[in-house]
Order: sequence, then structure tokens, then C-alpha cells
Amino acid sequence: MTIVRTACLAVALLASTALPALTQTRAETLRHVTGAAINTLDPNIPGSTREAFGLSLLTYDRLLSFGKKQLDGKWVFDLDNFKPELAESYTVSPDGLKITFKLRQDAKFHDGTPVTADDVKWSLDRAVTANVLGKGQLLTGSLTSADQFKVVDAHTFEVTLPKPDKLALANLAVVYPVIFNSKLAKSKATAEDPWALAWLKENTAGSGAYIIESFKPGETTILRRNPDWNRGSAEKPASFKRIITQTIPEAATRANLVEKGDADIVIDLQATDAADLEKKGKLKVISTPQYNSITFVSFNNQTPPFDKLEVRKAIAYALPYDDMFKAALFGRGAPLYGANWTEGKAPTGAVFPIPQPLKTDLVEAKKLLTAAGFPEGFSTTFSFNVGQAGTAEPMAALLKESLAKIGIKVEIQKLPDAQMSTLINEKKVPFFTEGIVAWLPSMDYFYRNFYIGPIRWNYSSLDDAKITEWAQAARFEPDMAKYAALGKDLNTRHFELMPQIPLWQPSQDAVMASSIDGYVYQFHRQIDFRDLSRK
Amino acid sequence: MSQLSTTAKRAGWRFASSLPALFGVLVFTFLLMRVLPGDPAVFFASGPSAGKEEIEMIRQQMGLDKPVPEQLVRYLGDIGSGNLGRSLTTGQPVLADLKSRLPASLELTFMALLIALLTAIPLGVAAALRQGSWIDHVVRFICALGVCVPTFVSGLLLIYAFYYLLGIAPDPTGRVDIFTSQPPLVTGFLLIDFAVAGDWEGWRAAASQLVLPAFTMALFVVAPLARITRAAMLASLGSDFVRTARSLGLPPRKVIVTYALRNALLPVLTIAGIVFSTMLGANVLVEKVFSWPGVASYALDALLASDYAPVQGFVLLMASIFVVVNLTVDVLYGIADPRVSVE
Repeated sequence: MTIVRTACLAVALLASTALPALTQTRAETLRHVTGAAINTLDPNIPGSTREAFGLSLLTYDRLLSFGKKQLDGKWVFDLDNFKPELAESYTVSPDGLKITFKLRQDAKFHDGTPVTADDVKWSLDRAVTANVLGKGQLLTGSLTSADQFKVVDAHTFEVTLPKPDKLALANLAVVYPVIFNSKLAKSKATAEDPWALAWLKENTAGSGAYIIESFKPGETTILRRNPDWNRGSAEKPASFKRIITQTIPEAATRANLVEKGDADIVIDLQATDAADLEKKGKLKVISTPQYNSITFVSFNNQTPPFDKLEVRKAIAYALPYDDMFKAALFGRGAPLYGANWTEGKAPTGAVFPIPQPLKTDLVEAKKLLTAAGFPEGFSTTFSFNVGQAGTAEPMAALLKESLAKIGIKVEIQKLPDAQMSTLINEKKVPFFTEGIVAWLPSMDYFYRNFYIGPIRWNYSSLDDAKITEWAQAARFEPDMAKYAALGKDLNTRHFELMPQIPLWQPSQDAVMASSIDGYVYQFHRQIDFRDLSRK
Repeated sequence: MSQLSTTAKRAGWRFASSLPALFGVLVFTFLLMRVLPGDPAVFFASGPSAGKEEIEMIRQQMGLDKPVPEQLVRYLGDIGSGNLGRSLTTGQPVLADLKSRLPASLELTFMALLIALLTAIPLGVAAALRQGSWIDHVVRFICALGVCVPTFVSGLLLIYAFYYLLGIAPDPTGRVDIFTSQPPLVTGFLLIDFAVAGDWEGWRAAASQLVLPAFTMALFVVAPLARITRAAMLASLGSDFVRTARSLGLPPRKVIVTYALRNALLPVLTIAGIVFSTMLGANVLVEKVFSWPGVASYALDALLASDYAPVQGFVLLMASIFVVVNLTVDVLYGIADPRVSVE
């Protein structure tokens, strides 16, 4: 009897409270779900997450933003084509050493103060002098000192460069040099904190398309449209009146939400779910290979046995590329293997990465391994971090199986993210997989940031005089033909040295309601909600 | 009166004697976090252009550039002044994070425990009364099922059935539907806050969000509670006073509820106390699956990132809660069985 009564009670409780989700007409609201969290409102704060970068481009304006181009029928950001944002126009002097910006006369911060060249100066000074992330980024565009920034008049601003640098303008369009309301920020600064880092971390002083309505770190962020903003392409405010970003840790739940129509857009689903939703055809799935990223298998080139070129090459020929690509990504991405190069020379040098002339060839692999002095093979560990486990785990299992065939015994190591970063930073992982992303994916930028010096991002710990020399030369090479020639040498050299094996560029699967329009893949791999609208 | 003062004295004594343990937990967690491989500064310095300077910057910001003993002294000093440090994962002070997240966890755990007790005690009693019958077997089967199915599986299953297929549950995205406005903050417990504000629409929304996660959690802890109830009931049903009561011809209801059950409640209380503390910290999977903004998932995220301050804060909080729960159970003992408090 008691059991029956309890069961009835339980059912009654469930039925009385679990009503259908509120179906509001919410055409003007965009609900975005993500697995990650925003941890600061100022993108310059050390430790900022990628989602924090995404948010700051909605609440702040930059002088310029990237234009867009089509890549295989999908819209992606364009590194070489700028759209004015707070700047109305800009001119570059013939010697390439001076960039003059004309600022918009009508731009205002959220509190109504007009945006002037003084604000631009203060913000850029802050990005290169304060203890912020901007410093390390902006120096890749030869922007290193406050002396380079000059206020000409209230709406004219000048940047001088020590050398003509191809990436100077591009660096002004990344997330760090956003323009702050300097009067407001200065009023919140203290003697110990002259750049108001503490205050700006929790507050916004911008002119962007959206204003923060509520911010609960790790839960939700709600944005309200700034009706006065007119920096979009059509000189109109952004299309959505409200944007809700919610943190939903479970990927399967995110897939459910967007499929049911409760969420409008998500970009971090598992590859299986994205493929599944695409097949069902109810939603719009835009799958863009992340052309500024690479996933690779890397070795520490300084420690045995991976200091031997033949060992690295043997592994490169022993990897089961196709199987790994299918198992890890379900084929969602752009492969970087299986190309044909004539006479071992790279076919192009204008871009990096390019597909490598590699395919699985166990006979060749065994031959190389014997030549390296390991006819019986050896034992090693292969590491990846927990955060990547979804793709890295199946890949590692296939790699282990295939390498066993040429005698290399692999023990798979799955490490917590912080531990993996620490070991990589200390150069203590012999053999592992990682992914890299370059915000400004020009050929020389990749080589300069990922193949030179004892820094963390030089995953393979490569130390090659030629690569260093050519990459530095390419940076300031104004002639595009010469630049491409240098790139060709670099790409060829990269293949010859095999410091690490590029595998593929994973796709970013943006899954959205079919009514959503205007999605563009952005450099910071976040959604620029200002582009989106509902049909 | 004298009973009350004895209980109070006992509680006070218990509390004082747990302070050294709390201190030990504090120091131990502090050292453990520093011994773990994984440098938070390197992890958080993950911007595309992060170099050595940035890592140093974060290290300085976290005070990690100082020697460990000095860090410990500073940390203890901070705790003395009520400052638990700042989380790098959320960018907020740990105290503020815990304050806003603890009510979410507590509300869920209380609700789950309530459901579990309401189910487990009748089940256990029924199983004990009809020992060996089909009822007993059914109860055993339910318990086994509850324990065998991991919470994230049952959670995902419930979501799939009630949200995805049937569409009668709201979307599993936290404590209240995103389009419902939050009640003014009074206790942090949404059901109470909505009731205080008189917003019954909101109360309904919050309650409907609570049902699935609470059931998921309850499912897992019904088994230990029901089993212990059954065992304790069997012991007390077989004892002399029940036989005496029966032979005196007291009504069965009085025999079972007043005499047998009350005597059987002590072990159930103990287990309920333990279950409660465990649920609060260990149900990280339920919190993750239902996007519940509780303390357990907060601590897990911090742990993966080697973010020291939140993990230390969480362990301290859990230890304190454990102490409080033990105290409460002690006091409840006295109420359930007056003999206990006369020491």
C-alpha cells in the first residue's frame, strides 16, 4: 500500500511541476549555448578565456575589424581586407611607416561621451605598456611603445612604425586594442593600478554594439542592444535586441537544446552530434575548416629518440591518417596529408599550412626506423590533455595500433589540461598531440611563433638556423613574389626536417536554427553576433 | 531543560573538537594543491601570444612567486580575515562564487534527500515487514537498479525521455528558465525566495527545473537508505519490546510506527547524514548534466585548471558542512532516542 502511495505521490509531483517550457515569442532574442565560460569583461586581463574575447568584441569597438571572404562557399574572416569600425577611413603613407586614422564624428560610448582620439591613444598606450595580454600580441605588428601613437586632433590619430610591417593593421583589428572610454576608466584608476585593470575586469567602458545587462561568470551573460551603435555594414544597430549566452557543460544537452529549438546557435558540439544534426536536415549546419588552425602530432626534437630525423620520418609514414581523420573528426575538417609534391618541393609558399606529401607506408616506415638504428623499435609515451579527449582518444588508440606494427610500443597518457601545459612549457613531453591557432594566419607568423626559440609555442623545440633566418626575412619582405619564394623554401624545409606532423584543420561546426543568417567564421573562433540576423 | 542544555553542551564540545581537524584539512589541501603536477599560471597564460612574461605576470598575481611557507602563512592570514582568494576560472572572489553557488547545491541536495527519504523509509519498512516476499524482492531490485546506474546515465536518460521525447520537462539549463526573471535575493534558495516574493509562476518554473536533477540524485541514494531501514527494522521487529507490545494487543500501526520504527531510526539518521554530505560534493555529474550552477562542478572545473583558491575554498566549505551535518545528526539523535543524550 505504502509503495503505491509513494509512487502516486512521485508521479503527481512530477506532473504538477513539469510544465512545457515557456514558449515565448522571442524572435528578437538570440540564445547561444556553450560549454565554456567568460571570466573577465576586459580581454586584456591575463588568463582571459576565448569566450571573454568573443564578448569584448560585442561590448567594445576597435579602430578596424576584419572583412570577410568566401572560402569553399563559406564566409570566413579576411586578413587582408579591413572594415572601418571607429575609424571612418585610414591612409598608409607611401613608405609604409605612418598610418593615419580619421575617426567617426558620431561615435559615442555607452554613457554618451563622444569617442575621441584621446580615448584611442589611452587604449593603445594601455595595450602596449600595462601588464596586459596586448603587449605580447601587438609586438608581432611592430607596435611596442606609446611613443608610436599620436593624437593629431580630436578625430585624427596617427600610428608610426619603425619598419613597414604587414601585420601592423591586422594587429589593430584583434581583440586586445579595443577602445576604452578613457575618461571613465581614468576616474576608476588608482595609484597602484593606473590602467584601471581591476575595475575594467568587472565593468565595461565601451562603445560597442551591445551593453551588458547581467553577467554571472560560469552561468549566463545577457546582452542588450546599443540602439545608437551604427558601425555595422548597413550603418544600423545590430539585428538582435537581446543576446543570451548560457554555459551548458554537457555537449549532448547542447545538441538537444538546439535541436529542440530552445537554443538558437551553438559552435562547440561534438563532431558526432554535428554530423547527426546535419543529416536530420532540420537545422542549418555551417561547417568551416578552421583555416587558421592546425592539429598535429609533435615530438620533442631535442630528446632521443626523436632527435633522429629518420625516427620522425618513420612515424610520419606509419600514421594511419585516413582512419584517424574518420575516427577523431568523422571527416569534418580539411586533411593536411595525402598531397603530391613534385621532386619533394612545396608547391606553394604564400600560405602555411599546406597538405603534406604523406600517406601510410609501413614498409618505408620500417626501413627508416632500421636506418635510424632502431630495427627492433623502442618504447615511448604519447600524451594528450583531457580537454581534447573527445578527438585525441580515438586518434591515440589508432596511432598506438599502427606504430606497434613497426615495433614502436606506445603507452597512452591522458593528462589534466593544466598538467599538460606545464609539461609542454618545461619541454618534458616527448611525443604528443596538440592543436595551434594563429589569429593572423600569415605564413611567416606561423613560422615565427611556432618554430623559433625556447618558447612554449615551439612545441617541437625546433632550432634550425635556416627556418629562423627565412621566417624573419619574410616578415618584412614587401614584395609578395619574394615572400612566396621564401615561403616555398620554408614549407619544403619544414617537410624535410619533419619537426612535427600536421594532420588536419578541424572544422568549426556552427549549428543554428534555419532562420539564422549571416554567420561568419572569425579569427578568435567565437561568434560575432553583430553579423547575425533572423530571417 | 536539562536535556536541552546537555544537548547544547554536547554540540558545543563536538564543534570545538572538530576545529583542529578543520585546520588540518586546510593545511593538507593547501600543500596537496602545490604538490599536484600542473602549474595554473602556465595553464591560464594560454593566449595566442603568451610568453614567459605573461606566465610570470599570472604567477605574481596569484602570489606563487613567493616560497611555499610564506604562501601558507599569507593564505591562513587571508582566511582569518574572510578572504578565500580569487578564482581564475570565473575571475570572481572565491567567497562570492561559493556564496552564490552553495544555495543551488543545497537546494538540490535537500530536495533529493527528501525524495530519497520519502521513498526509502516506506520501502525499507515494507520490505522488513514482508521479509522474503515479492515486496522484499521488488525493493531489492529497485535498490540494485538505483545503485548500478551511474547518475550521469540516469540523468541523461531522464532528460532524453522527459525533455527530448515527451517535452514535458523544461530544458535542463540550470535553476530557472532563462526567460523567467529571478526573485529578489533573500536566502538564495529559489523556492523560498519565489515564495517570499509571492511569484508563484516563478516558483513553478524553479520547481519544475528541480524535479529531474533531484530525482536523478535521489535514485542513487535510495538504495543505502532503504537497505539500512530494512535491516534496522528487522532488528527492532525481532526485539523483546515489539513482542511485548504485540502480546499486549496494541494496534499494529502503533507497534510498527511508534515502537519499531522510532527505534530503527538511529542508523537511518546516521546514514542520511553521511549521504547528505557525500551528495553535496560528489554529485558533480548531476550538476554537469543539468548545467546546475552548484559548488561541485565549480570545484571540478577549478581542479582541472589547477586553480588553487577555489579548490581550497571548496574543501574548506565541505569540511565545515561535514562538521555541521554531524552536529545536526547528533542533536537529532537526542530527539529520536532520548537515552542517547544522557551520557
